[in-house]
Amino acid sequence: MLLVENTKCECGHQNSVGTVLCESCGKPLENNDVSDLPLEMRYDGVARRSQKSNPNFIDRIWNFFSSVKIAIYLIILTFLTAMLGTIYPQENTFVNNFDPSVYYEETYGLPGKLYYLLGLSHTYETWWFIGLLVMIGTSLVICSLDRVLPLYRALSKQQIRKHLQFIHRQKTVFKHSIKGDGEQWAVQFGEQLKRKGYRIHRDGSALLAEKNRFSRWGPYINHIGLILFLLAILARSIPSWQMDNYITIPDGDTVQIADTNYYVKNEKFTVEFYSDEELPDKLKGTVRAKLFETKAVLYECVSNCNDQTLKPVLEEVKRHDIVVNEPLKYKGLKLYQFDFDMTPRLNAVHPVLVDKQTGETYGPFDLPMKDSALQHKLGPYTLDLYANYMEFALGDNGEPTTLSRDPVAPAFVFTVKGPGLDAAGEPYMYFPMQKDKVKFSQDAINHAIADKIEIRVDGMENVDFSEASTHLNVRIDKALPYVWIGAVFSMTGLLMGSYWQHRRIWLRIDDNELSLGAHTNKNWYGMRSDVAGALQKIGITIDPKSLDNGGNNA
Amino acid sequence: MGKSRKTVQVIILFAVLLIGGYAIGSALFANNDRDPLKEGSMPPPFELADLDGSLQRLSDYEGKAVVVNFWGTFCPPCVKEMPEFERQFQKWKDQGLVILAINLSEDTLTVNNFVRRFELNYPILRDVNRKTERSYELKSYPTTFFIKPDGSIMEIKVGGMTEEDIDERIERLLQL
Repeated sequence: MLLVENTKCECGHQNSVGTVLCESCGKPLENNDVSDLPLEMRYDGVARRSQKSNPNFIDRIWNFFSSVKIAIYLIILTFLTAMLGTIYPQENTFVNNFDPSVYYEETYGLPGKLYYLLGLSHTYETWWFIGLLVMIGTSLVICSLDRVLPLYRALSKQQIRKHLQFIHRQKTVFKHSIKGDGEQWAVQFGEQLKRKGYRIHRDGSALLAEKNRFSRWGPYINHIGLILFLLAILARSIPSWQMDNYITIPDGDTVQIADTNYYVKNEKFTVEFYSDEELPDKLKGTVRAKLFETKAVLYECVSNCNDQTLKPVLEEVKRHDIVVNEPLKYKGLKLYQFDFDMTPRLNAVHPVLVDKQTGETYGPFDLPMKDSALQHKLGPYTLDLYANYMEFALGDNGEPTTLSRDPVAPAFVFTVKGPGLDAAGEPYMYFPMQKDKVKFSQDAINHAIADKIEIRVDGMENVDFSEASTHLNVRIDKALPYVWIGAVFSMTGLLMGSYWQHRRIWLRIDDNELSLGAHTNKNWYGMRSDVAGALQKIGITIDPKSLDNGGNNA
Repeated sequence: MGKSRKTVQVIILFAVLLIGGYAIGSALFANNDRDPLKEGSMPPPFELADLDGSLQRLSDYEGKAVVVNFWGTFCPPCVKEMPEFERQFQKWKDQGLVILAINLSEDTLTVNNFVRRFELNYPILRDVNRKTERSYELKSYPTTFFIKPDGSIMEIKVGGMTEEDIDERIERLLQL
């Protein structure tokens, strides 16, 4: 059986369950009348909002999160589990194609395997870690709400004349017998406190002086900041809110940024190194990069974006020279210079056809390494592309084959028709790279036709190749502005709460007996000197230390 | 007073449930997404052009046993497998077997020459810029995915297979 607790104070005020000090007169309500130790002044002794005599299911959940003890356990648990994530590198710190199921075991042995199997290789993205963050967030909201509303209510309608017990059991107390009119004395004392920045509320011979109440809201503003911060972090899981990818673009290529509608073109990648004269003696002879620069163009796909059979239509949206710390930025998308690769790649050649009998040349024609036109007409000659190989080799069965799909040792087989050649066409094998021409003895393969025609490239201006590839880091973080807003709130709250103190002085004069009690949420030294200073101004000199009524943190 | 307090409680707890549920749920979901493909997981969708230029989607073959093979002319075991797949295709096509051979982003002439040489009748799909290959987390070639009629992966075979290997797996695939 539940007994309804009697929560009515002797002053007639009906307090709610869990109230420590009467909301009106401040008289201690719990059975500690006998004690004269300083009072517990937290939240001004008001009950937490959710304290109830008969909680239901929802109340129980609410009360769980409303407990500061639980909040502290949650925070400690989060700290400890966050530490687990620092034992081995997390999965998201690896850039290239890597298989975590193999990596951790190979690198760290059995502990590594366990680490991976327990999911600790991505601790901060696990459901239970996110769950802990959600619980901390919930606890922040509910703890704050449960305390700030009653506190606000208590502070906005304070009674000026407090119970004597309330005053005498503050941590800063002063008792004195005064001569003359009590009310007059209170007015004078109030004047002095006003000079120190206190706001004075007077009720006859009772007085309440208060200053910097706003600092009490600091922790709650700080909490609002933290909640915003947490929400922003959680919002990163919204699709397209966060991205951290890497793309490789050879010079001149245009590459789609995966999962977006954007394409990036690398017009030219440049790397410059310091010359020996520019380097200090210690570093002479070493390779020190001076500049990495990608001349990048960002395109947005405007149509045919998802149709694999059609070429996407791109529209330029931004052009920027990306160097370290100067990313290309466009609508929250950022492209950072990350790495480079100086392996050259042949893209196309523009060869001419030479008629060896007349010495006449035809062309040049465009011959890209990939997806070239199948027919080229050059003067009286017709070249039909019959086959091409990216990395030419002869297979085990003696047939031509390719060893890879990258133009490492490209070869083209044409069927050539024209003057002096078989009407059905004669095969002609063409190796654009000089080294391959020699290696595979192009002229010997081509037999008789090699005496009649030649396909060759005149000068480097007819060779189109990528000198380098750039590696860019693609980042999107739409949550970041909210993280900043949260941080600003959090900092503001922190400053409000730590650089100012909420100080209150209550006094009442009963039959020339002055009772003064003072409370602050921190810096008791300052509190006592405020009281002693004001007393001195009206002729009572005391040692501030003598005001100390005991209690901790005094 | 008491009424509004209750409403606030319910609203806040509901918001927590919604936001928290979403966050935890998407963490769980993202996990599956990032885990490497393995037996039992669902293969990533794709939409690729075949040699005629018409689009083929993996989802077009829902409810059928599908063999997805990644191949390239530069990979000798892939080349060896292609005619074997052709024979298997002829053997099992009446029982609903689908073979999709995805070329590893080679150029048109190369693919056409190859297909003409071996007279292949199953769809040859053209990956572009290695996109599909990446989504299937390919590390070496050939790699073959055996996909059950329920849409999940029965087996991922990395490396070349003998014709018996293929036959045995297709039989298992069709009986499931």
